[in-house]
Amino acid sequence: MDITAWVFYGFAAIAIGSALLLVSLRNVARSLFLFFIVLFSVAGLYVFALADFVAITQILVYVGGVLVLMLFAFMLSNKELLNDLQMGTSHFFALPVWQSVILAASFLSILIYASLHLGTHEPAWISSSRESGAILTPTDQTVQHLGVQIMTRYLLPFEIISVLLMMALIGAAHLTRKEANP
Amino acid sequence: MPTTALTYPLLAALSAVLLPFAGFLLSAALGKRAGNGAVATSAILLSLLAACYAFAQIWNQPPIHIQWHWFTIGEQAFHVGVLLDNMAVMMLVLVSLIALPVHIYSAAYMKGDPGIHRYWTYLSLFCFAMLGLVVADNLLLMYICWELVGFASYLLIGFWFTKDAAVQANKKAFIVNRIGDIGFLIGMALTYSHLGTLDTTALIEAPEILPAPWLTVAGLAFFLGAMAKSAQFPLHVWLPDAMEGPTSVSSLIHAATMVAAGVFLLARIFPVFDATVLLVIATIGTVTAFAAAYFALTQYDIKKILAFSTISQLGFMMVGIGIGMYPVALFHLATHAFFKCLLFLCAGAIIHEMQHAKETHDLDMDPQDIRNMGGLRKHMPLTFTAILIASLALAGFPFTGGYLSKDALIVHTFEWAALQSGAAKLIPYVLVAVSMLTSFYILRLLAKVFFGSLSIRSVKKDIRIHEAPMRMLGPMLFLAGCSLFPLFSVNPLNDSYVWLMQGLTSPVSTLPPLRLLHLAIPVLTTGVTCIVAGVAWQWYVNGKYPLKGGGLFYRLSEHQGYLDALYDAAVVRPVVRLSQLLLWVDHYIIDGMVNGLSALGRSFAAVAAWLDQRLVDGFVRLIGKIAWGLGNVFRRLQNGRLQHYFATLFFIILVILLYHIVVLL
Amino acid sequence: MIPLTHFLIVGACLFAIGLYTVMARRNAILVLVGIELMINAAILNLVAFSRYDKTAYGGQAFALFAIVLAAAAVAVALAIILNAYKFYKSVNPEDIRNLKD
Repeated sequence: MDITAWVFYGFAAIAIGSALLLVSLRNVARSLFLFFIVLFSVAGLYVFALADFVAITQILVYVGGVLVLMLFAFMLSNKELLNDLQMGTSHFFALPVWQSVILAASFLSILIYASLHLGTHEPAWISSSRESGAILTPTDQTVQHLGVQIMTRYLLPFEIISVLLMMALIGAAHLTRKEANP
Repeated sequence: MPTTALTYPLLAALSAVLLPFAGFLLSAALGKRAGNGAVATSAILLSLLAACYAFAQIWNQPPIHIQWHWFTIGEQAFHVGVLLDNMAVMMLVLVSLIALPVHIYSAAYMKGDPGIHRYWTYLSLFCFAMLGLVVADNLLLMYICWELVGFASYLLIGFWFTKDAAVQANKKAFIVNRIGDIGFLIGMALTYSHLGTLDTTALIEAPEILPAPWLTVAGLAFFLGAMAKSAQFPLHVWLPDAMEGPTSVSSLIHAATMVAAGVFLLARIFPVFDATVLLVIATIGTVTAFAAAYFALTQYDIKKILAFSTISQLGFMMVGIGIGMYPVALFHLATHAFFKCLLFLCAGAIIHEMQHAKETHDLDMDPQDIRNMGGLRKHMPLTFTAILIASLALAGFPFTGGYLSKDALIVHTFEWAALQSGAAKLIPYVLVAVSMLTSFYILRLLAKVFFGSLSIRSVKKDIRIHEAPMRMLGPMLFLAGCSLFPLFSVNPLNDSYVWLMQGLTSPVSTLPPLRLLHLAIPVLTTGVTCIVAGVAWQWYVNGKYPLKGGGLFYRLSEHQGYLDALYDAAVVRPVVRLSQLLLWVDHYIIDGMVNGLSALGRSFAAVAAWLDQRLVDGFVRLIGKIAWGLGNVFRRLQNGRLQHYFATLFFIILVILLYHIVVLL
Repeated sequence: MIPLTHFLIVGACLFAIGLYTVMARRNAILVLVGIELMINAAILNLVAFSRYDKTAYGGQAFALFAIVLAAAAVAVALAIILNAYKFYKSVNPEDIRNLKD
């Protein structure tokens, strides 16, 4: 195996490992920081999928925006919230709830089965793309092509997304407004 | 042959029987308002007039027999009917003639008693039953009247039912009578099974239809019935105790009429008895006569003396039947009715006066005890006259009716004994001895009560005894007149002229006469009576009593031969113990079985209840619980828990995915 | 290059972990984190398939839009969580049961 495969496996391991830790730790603050690590690893995985622009966007938006937002909300919320979270931390690890474990495990097995099945029975459009040579290569100029596609083919979703973002902003601002006490 | 025409004599006889029954119903309906006795007395008066008319029409005429069909059971038909021959009409007149004075007497004797209306009712019932018995033409009807007479006697003996002695006495009377009634029933059954009918005429005409051993058994059975009713030894024990009833009752029922019913029955069905049975009857009659006279010697209660005297005279009557001379027996029955009834009425008058004296002066004495009396001749002269006549009749003194009947009986017994062999020859001599004892005890009674001085005066100086009231004296004197000879025969000394016996004589009953005895016996008995009178005077009036009381024979007599104690030990106690045993069986075994079965049923019920509760109800409840459980399960889905909703959602998605994978791929 | 299946398996694992986080953790913020994990797994899936779509770049474009949507969702969700906390005094989803039957 070449070095790309190893790096890929490394990133994957980090991602999955952090996710597992995130799930099992009791301390919420630590969980959030592990989430941070997960997001970075996933961004690395995007690069291996030859989606570099998406990777960068992930880091910018997700890590820089979403995660920071979560951390702010978490850290800057009032003391009771913090105290509540620190209460009941008798164990370091959270006990697994077995019904959820079973459900998650069964989902996992189904998805893995489907993935493996996909590996053996390639869908038609993938085969035709492979034959016609329309597969991304590492030397492609992704950003230009992506920009063109957004402005031409995906213009409507682009606009709608911006409007939705504005709605979310207004909604969030309204929700967190301080009520005038009568 | 039974007639169907209702002639006047027949109607008169029927009304004579039914008038007291109407009196009974009317008195019962009137209740307390019948207290003055007018209903009962007028009923018996009318009955007497009807009976006299019937007697006049039927005496020495062909008998009248009428029968009606009563009921049928399957193939067997039973009748009710009336047979009027000499015997029946004689008894009809006798009973009503005795009953009328007793009714008049009772009005005075029972005055002031709180239950007197009951008394008249029971008395009318008794008269009806007795009159019905004498005219009955078949054994069934006679048995019914027999039982009714016994029942009326039970009611009247226990008239003062608050007294324990009276209650015990009436129970004893009824039970002993029942023992005799078994005999009557056996006789009836034998008659019916062999003859197919219960008519007495059929029985009299053809008694030989019953084969030899059964004929004897039937005869003995009928005699058993008569033994109990007529108080023969050893079934006589009820009669002395029956003196607990009012004295007027004792005079009518237990002296003159009811106790004579047994004798009447035997006279009625006389042809049934064969030689063995007749010998048995004669023997028992003799034993009774002797034993009763013996017991009467030492009694102190005036009524008990008279009761034993009755038993003794009934024994005489039975001997008369046993020797085959039932007309003589019936004649003695008639004379005995008059003088015994009179004796009791006089005793009642004395007791009434003594009771009055006891209440006035507040004494503590028994008014019936002859030791408390004495010298009453000066205080109650008319009563003394009446009782003297009656006593002489009892003792068989000449110029009385009793002399005629008793001496006729004894003479005929000698004539009979001449034809017998063995121990039967002793019977007439025993009877002679009995008549001597009879004279003794009755003259003892007279001496102790009427002569000497009033012994209770020694306790209180100023006791006065009055003569009996007119309403009591009238009947007494009437009966005294009837006890004398003119009623029965024109010749006071010779019994061949007695018209009653001439009417009753049948070809069955004749014995070769021994002319000498017809003279000798009366002389013997009269002489003995005079000697005994002298002895009694010496002993009781002059007080020179030579013997010491309390010897063995004395005690045997006083305790009535210890028969009551014997019956108590041999019969009463075992029966009581048997009934206690049966009670135990019933209580523990039978009730135990029933209780056991019920416990079994209860346990089954408990099991069924358990099944019902647990299984049946449980099943229903199970269904309810399942429904509730299912509902609960689905309710749990809506528990407001966010992550739970999320999990449910993903679970369903999982199922869909599985479906797609498994089915479609 | 990396075969398609590898990406898919990694995405599946992340998705499962995210699912578990949502279902099993008793803190609303961690539930939000779980949701984010699931969204990230989905975006990884999109991007993995987009390698075979040179003509339309559909997967990558959709991935961008999905990232934006996720961000908006997080913002609004946090606001809601803070409001809910003010009312119920707890961030434990278990304590908010008013919709219980």
